[in-house]
Amino acid sequence: MSDTANLRIQRFNPEVDRRPHLETYRVPLTPDTTILDGLHAVKAEQDGSLTFRRSCRHAICGSCAMNVDGHNVLVCKTRLADKVAGGKTVTIRPLPYLPIIKDLVVDRTAFWDQYLRVKPWLIPPDDVPEKEFRVTPEEVAALQNAETCIMCGACYSACQVVAMGKRYIGPHALLKAFLRVLDPRDAAVEDRLREVGGDDGVYRCHTIFNCIDACPKGLNPTQAIETLRGLAAKRKALEAARRTRQAAWSGARAP
Amino acid sequence: MYRSNGFISFLLRRVTGIALVLYLFTHMWVIGSALQGSQVFDARLAAVQTPFFKFAEVALLAALFYHAFDGLRLLLVNWFKITDYRRSLFYAAFGLAAIMTLAGAVPILVFLVQG
Amino acid sequence: MRLFQLQRVSAIALLVFLTIHMMVLHYPPFHIDFARILERMADPMWKAIDIAFLFFVLVHALSGTYAVLTDFDCVSRARKVLAGGATVIGVAAFFYGAATILAFQPPV
Repeated sequence: MSDTANLRIQRFNPEVDRRPHLETYRVPLTPDTTILDGLHAVKAEQDGSLTFRRSCRHAICGSCAMNVDGHNVLVCKTRLADKVAGGKTVTIRPLPYLPIIKDLVVDRTAFWDQYLRVKPWLIPPDDVPEKEFRVTPEEVAALQNAETCIMCGACYSACQVVAMGKRYIGPHALLKAFLRVLDPRDAAVEDRLREVGGDDGVYRCHTIFNCIDACPKGLNPTQAIETLRGLAAKRKALEAARRTRQAAWSGARAP
Repeated sequence: MYRSNGFISFLLRRVTGIALVLYLFTHMWVIGSALQGSQVFDARLAAVQTPFFKFAEVALLAALFYHAFDGLRLLLVNWFKITDYRRSLFYAAFGLAAIMTLAGAVPILVFLVQG
Repeated sequence: MRLFQLQRVSAIALLVFLTIHMMVLHYPPFHIDFARILERMADPMWKAIDIAFLFFVLVHALSGTYAVLTDFDCVSRARKVLAGGATVIGVAAFFYGAATILAFQPPV
């Protein structure tokens, strides 16, 4: 194996360039080098103006999602050697379908706006139990998948429906809505299902599956969306069932 | 555009859907000639059973079978938790559509040749 | 939501009706003219089947076209107009198609 690798990186400086262009850089390569290491090597030793987002370096902060060889990945956990096997050059572009601020940094406003739109925080009932919320292990297990989301944007930016229009809520926010709807401690089931069951929500998903392919945590927004579709049709019944469940909690208050 | 099987399936579904809508309205116009009597109908029908249209019919079959099997795949994904098999399902839908198109094309082309 | 459900229901109906349509009308292939169709249409059950088929086809085609167009944000602003237009086209096409089906009567 050669000990260097070629990175073809999309560059764009809005103050100087009219349109983005690709530049190639050669960086040192070891079996452990990640693409993020390669980007750091370029920035530290070759071109200090290369701009990209990164933070934790171990796939938990969600900052470093980018488009590598046509697929959205977290560059901190993608081995460079895998991508340049056989002498290939790896191509690194920013996340697609979002406005580019500079180089590999994109404007994620639409992503965050849609996230806020579904009210991603838990909305507890007015009557909170004196001690804890009693929830079964099965109910917790059902939330496991959706809870692991690190908001990296890989799924949102891979979605063709998002590519066609930013009114679509998006797999990231729908997964979060799914998390809250399924949480027995949440008291806003009907409102949440009305929002995601509307014109811009779960019925706009065309089951393209790019979100599952892109997710660095192996999550399944498509399945969450399919489940929400079934739930959205029964939102009033679900709200009633949730209220009954939560009433049992407040009935369990210590005297 | 983002490279994936899912994108190809989606694009083909859209393209065949639009093609089928255009076919639908053309078809209604052709058959609608019955309102002008059997002679007009027979003339127009004869015009669209020429060899060129027989080949177009095979293309129509392809669009129809692809759209139907891909749609069936969507129904399955909607009703069952099978996202893990998404790639196999896509190939199965595509394969079935290809087989059925061939199966349907043979009698049409045989009829065309034999009359 | 209603649109989604309409599309799915009409899709399932079409799987049935289209199979019938293809088997009865096109296999084995024959030269199609007024007289051949009249033979089949003599039984009013076929007229009923064809009219039901026409209904589901129009529902699926027009709701599908509406969905395809409104996926684009710029078109989406006109969604009420598009929905109205699709309904008008659907109703008109249905009456035209039904009239056509009923036109397969023996000449008086």
